[in-house]
Amino acid sequence: MRRLLLTAAATTAAALTLAACGTTEPAADKPEEKKASEAITLTDGKGTEVKLDGPATKVVATEWNVVESLLSLGVEPVGVADVKGYKTWDTSVPLKGDPKDIGTRGEPSMDTVASLAPDLIVATTDLPPAAVKQMREVAPVLEVRSADGAGQIDQMLENVDLIAKATGTTDKAESIREDFEAKVAEGKKALTDAGMAGKDIAFADGYVTSNQVSIRPYTATSLIGEVHEAIGLKNAWKVKGDEAYGLGATDVEGLTDLPKDVQFAYIGNDEDPNATPFTSALTENSVWKSLPFVKAGDVHRLNDGIWMFGGPGSMEAYIDAVVGALTK
Amino acid sequence: MAVTATEPAARPSTAPTPRSGAAAVTAGLVLLVAVLAVVDITQGTAAVGASEVWRALTGQADAGDASVVVASRLPRMTAGLLVGAVLGMAGAVLQAVSRNVLASPDTLAVNAGSYLALGIAGATGLSLPMIASSGVAFLGGLAAAAVVLGLSGLGTGTVRLVLAGTALMLGLNSMTEGLLLLFPEQTEGLYQWNQGSIGQNGFDGVLQMLPVALIGLVGLLLTARRVDALALGDDAARGLGVPVRATRVTVVVLAALLSAAAVTLAGPIGFVGLCAPALVRPLVRRFRGYARSRAALPAAALTGAALVLGSDVVLRTLVSDDLSVAVPTGVVTSLVGAVFLVVMAIRMRDTAGAGAPDRLRTPSRTAFLVTVGVLVVVLVGLVIAAVLVGDTKLLLGDVVNWTQGRAGRSVTFVLDTRVPRVLAALGAGAALALAGTLVQAVTRNPLAEPSVLGVTGGGALGAVILVTTAPLATTWGVAGAAFAGSAITAVVVFGLAARGGFQQNRLVLVGIGTASGTAALISLLIVLTDPFNATKALTWLSGSTYGRTMPDVVPVALALVVGIGVAVARRTELDLVSLDEDTPRLLGMRLAPGRLGFLVLSVVLSSTAVACAGTIGFVGLVAPHAARALVGRRHVRVVPVAILLGAVLVCAADLIGRTVIAPSQLGAGLMTAVIGTPYFLYLLVRSRR
Repeated sequence: MRRLLLTAAATTAAALTLAACGTTEPAADKPEEKKASEAITLTDGKGTEVKLDGPATKVVATEWNVVESLLSLGVEPVGVADVKGYKTWDTSVPLKGDPKDIGTRGEPSMDTVASLAPDLIVATTDLPPAAVKQMREVAPVLEVRSADGAGQIDQMLENVDLIAKATGTTDKAESIREDFEAKVAEGKKALTDAGMAGKDIAFADGYVTSNQVSIRPYTATSLIGEVHEAIGLKNAWKVKGDEAYGLGATDVEGLTDLPKDVQFAYIGNDEDPNATPFTSALTENSVWKSLPFVKAGDVHRLNDGIWMFGGPGSMEAYIDAVVGALTK
Repeated sequence: MAVTATEPAARPSTAPTPRSGAAAVTAGLVLLVAVLAVVDITQGTAAVGASEVWRALTGQADAGDASVVVASRLPRMTAGLLVGAVLGMAGAVLQAVSRNVLASPDTLAVNAGSYLALGIAGATGLSLPMIASSGVAFLGGLAAAAVVLGLSGLGTGTVRLVLAGTALMLGLNSMTEGLLLLFPEQTEGLYQWNQGSIGQNGFDGVLQMLPVALIGLVGLLLTARRVDALALGDDAARGLGVPVRATRVTVVVLAALLSAAAVTLAGPIGFVGLCAPALVRPLVRRFRGYARSRAALPAAALTGAALVLGSDVVLRTLVSDDLSVAVPTGVVTSLVGAVFLVVMAIRMRDTAGAGAPDRLRTPSRTAFLVTVGVLVVVLVGLVIAAVLVGDTKLLLGDVVNWTQGRAGRSVTFVLDTRVPRVLAALGAGAALALAGTLVQAVTRNPLAEPSVLGVTGGGALGAVILVTTAPLATTWGVAGAAFAGSAITAVVVFGLAARGGFQQNRLVLVGIGTASGTAALISLLIVLTDPFNATKALTWLSGSTYGRTMPDVVPVALALVVGIGVAVARRTELDLVSLDEDTPRLLGMRLAPGRLGFLVLSVVLSSTAVACAGTIGFVGLVAPHAARALVGRRHVRVVPVAILLGAVLVCAADLIGRTVIAPSQLGAGLMTAVIGTPYFLYLLVRSRR
């Protein structure tokens, strides 16, 4: 131990004398003159006033839903949290450029964000307040509400509008809104034509750990639940969801509460089979096999890569997928 | 020393004893388990109640109801029965052969090993069929048990067993939590699984584990006579012709096998292995029939089954169906178990004498000064490295500019966020080390440490309650809540353990019970308030300096100044108190007020550390041990060395956590355990000579 300590001390001393002098940045640059003409003032999802010198072009995003919104608006973010995860779970609005990975969604790295010197950081209200406070030192932070059980679609579109204002892409936001509404109308018509209007639907995801299967229902107050209602389907879950995301919890037994003629839909991921219990662990389960909608073949696996908490792009892909599955 | 000399778990009696009483009690237990099992079958998320179950069992129900009973209810009930029985029996034999009331699957790190193995499988995206994933958990658990037993030296001392087990458990759990934070999508559900849940996907799991469990149970019953002989003491057992070492190895391997089987079936169901034998122990005094392992082991198994099934029944009765799916049974067994353990500990007759103090050489003054000097150099080097190194590498000139307020925008920002983190790490490390030193001195117990005693857990609980109910709580608010939580826990723990002086086993038992209770309550709170944001809670609980600002560091810094002042001023008193019970009295010292003062101080220190950097375990346990090993046991030397070691440990952990996997990062608490575990185990191995 003592020899170890001595070696450590010697090494650090040597390293310090060798490497630690000088600066990486010239001292004291004067504060830049601000252009007052294009200044934008916004009120974000937390009610904080956010002031920008002009439309932001170098944007960092800490959550996947805002990444998606930025991409839809034609703004390629320079920094994204968990790039690999986004590429796995959200392919409806693919990430084309090569943004810098700023770390995990829960704890984005301050150093990396600062080194990108962004004009704007788009975060969600899920980020800890202490982190947001520090980020404000680097750049203006726009916090959007990640989910609102009282109106998920409205919240989603509001977020797109807010981000559009900050990035000077309000025209694009308008067309996103129109496209989304058109897609909803298209889906509704296709379902009505196929005689599926008003059908019961239950969407869920699930995961397998060891030999236990947990199922997570997306209730009527979830984003997907609201999309169901918008295209004329009826949510069949009786389980109560949480306030923000509208997600519930149940097990295989709980599926017996669903109506007999329900359409059951889910999204899995081929890269993550533990998140796809309906094609793996449950296939041998006799409760699952005896469910009326399983027997009738009304279980639909929708395309991978539709992010269930995403923006209009993901929800349009979802409408296509669910309408396609139900009218097949 | 704590937990060394306890009374044998079962004291064989030579007098002829009536067996009928024991038989009647066993029959009563069987009846209780049967009733609980029947009630459990009628509960669940499907609308299948008692009448449907009856019809299903008599073959009159429709296919749907029948399948719910056959594929969900019966497997769940059987799993509960099996897991409880297996854990109860494993705990009972482990306690018997080690003559240690703290030995159990939990303390052998079997659960932690399985948890990590499953976490690695999940994070690497391995999707395994049920049997293979059970196999992975099984191997992980066995490996952990092997490491603990190998390091602690089988049968050479029980404190070592518990120390090695607890240390490894902390280290392994931290690694798993790190994986959960880094791979939140891949490991979804694992956090909940770790709380233990007996729900089953069909009968497959139960059927695959049943043979393993039967082999273990039968094997243990066959060795029961030898276990009884071991209870007489090693020499007496040898005299009777019992192969002591072989018996111990066999029993421990069988018990590890059993607990691994339970873990693969239901996740780590905490506390049953510790609790069930503890509940059976008082029966031994009343009914002589239980003096023999052959009667006592089945009783422990039945008690375990009753604990698990009872917890499940209570949970499903009290909580609505939707929520009862989210609340794992293990949380309830932990809560129930914690209360039982505390009650048992209070009623226990503590016969542990003052154990021999650690045999430590007293190094020369020069050696002490060299150690301190070297530590200071290491610490200064680390602090400089911690300030310079990160995602953005800086040079000393930048820091000079920054201190003079002349730095550029980017450097200013980086240092504004980085320096508070470094200071938070230093402060928390030093405070925890000092708190650990004080508690270990006052209680004369090498296992006593704020986190083992539940004080840290209480602080975390207080802070989590405030953070979940008032998201905009201020720094002082969180520090206050953490202090309130710590103080209440400390009053409870020390108050309950105070009867008849701070008896050593009792203190640790009450502390471990409280620690598990607070951990279960925190899990419960997270599951109930924010079920889909386990990451957020884990971030906080893993001891992170993320997002710290200067004001966050102030409370712990103040506590540290006061703490060091008091420790230096009263160093002689600390030496005396830590010596034994009688010497201070002979010198005319009043023990109680001094002890109380030191304990209050350590509570303040550990709660401010919790408020500053979350729950960082391990430092309070490792730093004082290491300090004593380096410079002997006089507090004038131990205190500064322990404080320096604590600061070095947490600062290094924070630095590594921030940089090695950048831009992702891990909490200092996780890294502390990852760094601290190997060192602690090395200490154990070295001291075996």
